[in-house]
Amino acid sequence: MYVWIWRRLPGGLPGKLSGCVVLFAGVLALLFYFGFPWLEKHVPFNDVTVDQRVTSTPSPSPSASPTP
Amino acid sequence: MTDLAVEPRPVAGHHRGDGLRMVARGVGQLLITVGVLILLFVVYELWGTGFYTAAQQHKLETTIQQQWTGGSAPDVSTLPVDNVRLGTGVAVLFIPRLGPHYHFVVVEGTGFSDLQRGPGHYPGTALPGQVGNFAVAGHRTTYLHPFKDIAQLRRGDYIVLETKEHWFTYRIEDIPGTNIPWREIVAPTAVQVAYPVPDQPDPAKAPTLKLLTFTSCHPEYSARERYVIHAMLISDTLKPALPAALTKPRS
Repeated sequence: MYVWIWRRLPGGLPGKLSGCVVLFAGVLALLFYFGFPWLEKHVPFNDVTVDQRVTSTPSPSPSASPTP
Repeated sequence: MTDLAVEPRPVAGHHRGDGLRMVARGVGQLLITVGVLILLFVVYELWGTGFYTAAQQHKLETTIQQQWTGGSAPDVSTLPVDNVRLGTGVAVLFIPRLGPHYHFVVVEGTGFSDLQRGPGHYPGTALPGQVGNFAVAGHRTTYLHPFKDIAQLRRGDYIVLETKEHWFTYRIEDIPGTNIPWREIVAPTAVQVAYPVPDQPDPAKAPTLKLLTFTSCHPEYSARERYVIHAMLISDTLKPALPAALTKPRS
């Protein structure tokens, strides 16, 4: 896959290198702004509340939060 | 003649090896890519998420200061418990043990999006300075990890809440006259730690004490259990005086 991309990047060695940097930055931005924020809602690392359900669902319903 | 007979064989062999090599290379690249993605996710969780929280905290801080100085809104300690809008700042939290610069605006709500912005107050639990239990959840490893060092807190440490007109000082301790310990590690389902009278089965039992409870995940980097801290209100300082817990060097 990477060979395939490398072959298709234009502009000789400097062009290919800068193309790589741009592509990598783009993928990184997509991951940090869209991919990872979506993913983290589906993994339980961020659960810090006590709750009647053990699963990691965002925004607990009032009935599930600790009663006043 | 022999050339013609021999030649096809290496070609065929070469072709078969090529296929294998391509598959091996593909699998190798895939594995490396997955590894790099997982590392990037870790970087995002532990470090990247902090930028969002820092920006949100800055906004919350500005807003709450404006409300305190300019607005005619009453002090949060005089409000009914369900009268604070989700996602707005409730109070500013200081923990002298965690350093003179440690402070966070506590957000109303413990939903995912609330906790992304700072430590979150369990809606419906008491507000600062009120009879009942001011319960707060906070991240321990991500989103600027307000409760990263929750395990460093000790019996006798102070927790100070700043509201519009008050400084409420709570002290971490075994709550006198009850079976509530200063610290406990519980199951994620142990909602009773945040009850008005914590650690007993009845959520409707009328409270008489002014308590504060923190919950965070435990062990660090896991969510298997919850780390819980209990504290009791020991003083209420009217502004502009400063509470002793913030002026005295910590013991």
